[in-house]
Amino acid sequence: MKILLFLAGFALATTAHAQFRLPNLDINRMVDTVKNVGKAAKEIDEPEEIAIGRDVASRLLGAAPLVADPRLQRYVNHVGRWLAAQTERPDLPWQFGVLDHANVNAFAVPGGTIFITRGLLDRMRNEAELAGVLGHEIVHVLRKHHLKAIQKGAQTALAGDAMGAALRDRAGPARDKLIAFGTEMYTRGLDKSDELEADRLGVVIAARAGYDAYGLPSVLQTLQAISAQDSAIALMFKTHPTPGERLQTLDRMQPVLDAYSRQPQLAERFVSQIRR
Amino acid sequence: MRFLALIFLLPMVAAAEPATVIRATELKQAPATDAATVAELAENTAVDALERQGGWTRVKAANGEGWVRMLALRFGGTAAAKPGATGLSQVFNVARTGTSGTQVTTGVRGLDAEQIAAAQPNPPELAKLQGFAADRDAAASFAAQGKLDAKPLEYPK
Repeated sequence: MKILLFLAGFALATTAHAQFRLPNLDINRMVDTVKNVGKAAKEIDEPEEIAIGRDVASRLLGAAPLVADPRLQRYVNHVGRWLAAQTERPDLPWQFGVLDHANVNAFAVPGGTIFITRGLLDRMRNEAELAGVLGHEIVHVLRKHHLKAIQKGAQTALAGDAMGAALRDRAGPARDKLIAFGTEMYTRGLDKSDELEADRLGVVIAARAGYDAYGLPSVLQTLQAISAQDSAIALMFKTHPTPGERLQTLDRMQPVLDAYSRQPQLAERFVSQIRR
Repeated sequence: MRFLALIFLLPMVAAAEPATVIRATELKQAPATDAATVAELAENTAVDALERQGGWTRVKAANGEGWVRMLALRFGGTAAAKPGATGLSQVFNVARTGTSGTQVTTGVRGLDAEQIAAAQPNPPELAKLQGFAADRDAAASFAAQGKLDAKPLEYPK
């Protein structure tokens, strides 16, 4: 590595265009490789995070389209954007979508895109429950849980220089592989610690936004009551700790939950907006 | 207004969920720690959960009706399993694209693992998604309509 860097530096220093070739040694290529290794190891910056997220979001929409109900979509965007405004990344291009599918699930995509399924929304009772789930997903974006998992996994899954190539060329085949890998991440799930962190911080975000903080625990109890044999929830259960374990972890948050349990649940507004 | 509120409670009452208490718990007359105790519920007592108010859930137990801490309840232990109850529709969600009158099956859409892994980009839907996004001002007035007050609150350590 040190030798490569030295050679690359030598090549850059000696010719502006790095055009000369040593026997059996392509200096151009070597310079590229050094640059790419540098870029892959570096933190992915925010514009890149947003660009990757946009491509992954497009694929998830290929799996299930949006519910064809602009009023519903705007409603969920209002709730989500209000929650996001209470966080340390208020100015990401936040966008929220309800996927037209009976499965019970929600997805946080790097850069500020959040999806929730019609199947999950149908099992909620009020806006505070929606805020609890969106708060959980927003934490995944804030803490870059998926982005870090994609970056970590892609470096081993994509051979050699592919990660660098994927970041450098947004139209190339390596990019396609990176995005496919990033999409597949939603079938494997995150580390358990990421999910439990998203629960703990998610209820705080809902409370900051003025909602009854018990929205998320309430949804977790609803999920707990769904049979594990129900195929509509199979992937959600496969990719998350059990609702029981998540509720147990939230037990420690009871002082915060109680302090903000008398805030609005907005059941009437919720029901009037999500009605088909 | 009271009538409306009742209507919204109805689905929850109708869907009284079987649950068990995960630890010995006091059944309270009202949703508050300092309310009178109706009965003592032993660990694993079966109850029917009726409605939630803040951190409390109203339940019906064999020895009375009252409120318990919602986090003391576990759901679904005894509920009958309904395999695949809501997941069947996916089979019919075959995505088709067509040009010049011929339709080609491009893949099975859906949100199961294999379907997500095989998903292809959907730029028209992505454009719609972007079109529905709300700006901060719109979100703030939406919150004001719902009487939602933002407040500073630290993350837990």
